[in-house]
Amino acid sequence: MLSIKNLHAEVDGKPILRGINLDIPAGEIHAIMGPNGSGKSTLASVLAGREEYEVTQGSVTYKNHKLLELDPNERACEGVFLGFQYPVEIPGVSNLYLLRAAINARRKYHGEPEIAAIDFMKLVQEKIDYVGMSMDMVKRGVNEDFSGGEKKRNEIFQMLMLEPTLALLDETDSGLDIDALKVVADGINRLRSPERSTVLVTHYKRLLEYVVPDRVHVLYKGQIVRSGGPELADTLEAEGYANLETDETAATS
Amino acid sequence: MSATQQIEPNIDHYLAEYARVERELPGSDDSKRERQAELRRFSDAGFPSTREEDWKYTSLRPIEKRRFEISDEADTPSEKALAPFLPAGLDAFRIVIVDGHFSAVLSGLDGLPPGATVRSFAAYLNATDGASIKAREIDEEPGSLTAMNAAFFTDGAYIEMAAGTVVDKPIHVLSVASGARDERMTQVRHRYVMGENSQATVIEHFVGVGDNPYFTNAVTEAVMGRNSQLTRCRVQQESDKGYHVSSFFAQQRRDSRVFNHGFDLGGRLARIDTNARLVDQNSEVHLFGVYAPTGRQHIDNHTRIDHATEHSLSREFYKGVLADYGRGVFNGKIIIHRDAQKTDSAQACDALLLSDKAEVDAKPELEIYADDVTAAHGSTVGQLDEDAVFYLKSRGIGEEGARAILTYSFANSLVNKVGIPALVSYIEAALLAKLPGGQAYADLA
Ligand SMILES: Nc1ncnc2c1ncn2[C@@H]1O[C@H](COP(=O)(O)OP(=O)(O)OP(=O)(O)O)[C@@H](O)[C@H]1O
Ligand SMILES: [Mg+2]
Repeated sequence: MLSIKNLHAEVDGKPILRGINLDIPAGEIHAIMGPNGSGKSTLASVLAGREEYEVTQGSVTYKNHKLLELDPNERACEGVFLGFQYPVEIPGVSNLYLLRAAINARRKYHGEPEIAAIDFMKLVQEKIDYVGMSMDMVKRGVNEDFSGGEKKRNEIFQMLMLEPTLALLDETDSGLDIDALKVVADGINRLRSPERSTVLVTHYKRLLEYVVPDRVHVLYKGQIVRSGGPELADTLEAEGYANLETDETAATS
Repeated sequence: MSATQQIEPNIDHYLAEYARVERELPGSDDSKRERQAELRRFSDAGFPSTREEDWKYTSLRPIEKRRFEISDEADTPSEKALAPFLPAGLDAFRIVIVDGHFSAVLSGLDGLPPGATVRSFAAYLNATDGASIKAREIDEEPGSLTAMNAAFFTDGAYIEMAAGTVVDKPIHVLSVASGARDERMTQVRHRYVMGENSQATVIEHFVGVGDNPYFTNAVTEAVMGRNSQLTRCRVQQESDKGYHVSSFFAQQRRDSRVFNHGFDLGGRLARIDTNARLVDQNSEVHLFGVYAPTGRQHIDNHTRIDHATEHSLSREFYKGVLADYGRGVFNGKIIIHRDAQKTDSAQACDALLLSDKAEVDAKPELEIYADDVTAAHGSTVGQLDEDAVFYLKSRGIGEEGARAILTYSFANSLVNKVGIPALVSYIEAALLAKLPGGQAYADLA
């Protein structure tokens, strides 16, 4: 599904990703953990195509595509979805409008006709129930006056509507109460299938109790310094990131 | 004007043009004398120049160098040509002026409630003894272009609401420049006389349809009686060959309210002066505006609110959207006079630059001579939020579409304030149509 080789990226000449190697087979969920500022959001943004970051070395293969050569909207049309750590507000443009435009952009890209209004509304009705949002809410402006938790629910709602093959979820579990966390976990589990992969960026093992990952990676100073099974999350929770300096030396040598 | 003074050739042209058309202009012989005085005021002062502080950023050279003429009659455009300017689903009374002449065929005024008068200004002048070309209730209409208008205007809308009259449907005042002939001018004057406790909504709409350069010079007077309410939606969609200059003067008696919404989408060059004088207690004025110069358009809005006496309120919000080589000017003057204690005033102007070739000068200008007032003002100039652009792109929407959607979002809150759904949709669609990639998202409106 996704294969990242020796990926280096910088912003304003400052290196942030310093040689990432990561393979995510189809059907798997991988968690990426790591201290603040280690480059987790940068990795997710680079994969989604944010131009602010300059890729200086390395390659990324996604399905049959050289991912880095596609525009962000093309990546989305190919099934990449980024759940934002900080979703933006777009007053006056309804959530429904955005989703219909997004779905139709995909359809157009694949040479398919636009979605019929009735089919679209059926889909909306089904998915808002999964995430506990109301029709009134999705008719409002994109994230307009949404609380932090509502914004994250909305990211999951969008993901469920767009049914990506590669979901990159950047701290979609942060700042949530337990009910909202369950909604997020449930959304991720619903999409779990042999054709889809998910990358979960998280600080907390709590999410991983509801969504058991196939692999857990630790990102530190722009490199993956340790990888393991779900039990690695327990170790990290117990020990913190204190021993990573030694890991880093090991990884670069 | 003294005999020794050199007359500019272009001014000479307008003196001759006045002589040519005077007999045909509406109004009594007395009113012709008023017009002659206005013509002198215009010819003495000439066109405003960029040496004047209020005209610093807007040069009228392109207008001055041409020789515009009054159209003796209208070149009525086809229904097809006008159709795009009739907002779909808008249920309104309609008065249409083409090339400065009232068009009975295009107008639709049946069913006005008793007490409401909507008619041709020319017909009103011709039929009314002692009718004056300028509203006597309005202290002053400064500026040489307003004088030019007073001398030359051929027609316009005359709206009068008797005391207590409420019109529930908007009145669509549509002024069309046919652009059918080269270098024509439409000098139109509208007067809205709002009796005590009356209420009306006027959509004052300027459009241009042809290919020839033309000049629109419009003046609107609003005489606001006690506790009256006027909502005026000024929609300016001159053609890209149109030069547009207009002034609005509202004089507000006690407890009256003016809601003025301006949308400047058209014109090669447009200059709009919006003036409200709060001369009595507890009067309110709300000025909202969106201007969107794209291509090589130049759009200049000057506003002036005079708080002349105590306990009055003003709110003013303007937003500019500037793309391509668009040039925008906003100057919002608020004067709180010495006796205007307890004035409550707030103003903000924001501009969005969509291209590095676009330019805007937007500033509030506050003069306060009273000591017990509330006055807030602010001004921002910025670009689209790149996080938001990326957010939309990450959902599958292309670069241009993302920018058009976010620009729509920027202007949306002010457009919505109009409160007439059919007009809101119409304006939003017209705005989107001007933006690169916006056409595809016209259904946002
Ligand atoms: N646009 C940017 N401009 C400048 N520096 C940036 C930019 N984006 C990220 N950085 C820097 O790159 C480093 C990695 O940031 P990133 O947001 O990827 O970290 P993170 O692992 O997601 O952290 P957190 O856990 O706090 O979300 C930080 O030092 C950050 O300040
Ligand atoms: Mg982050």
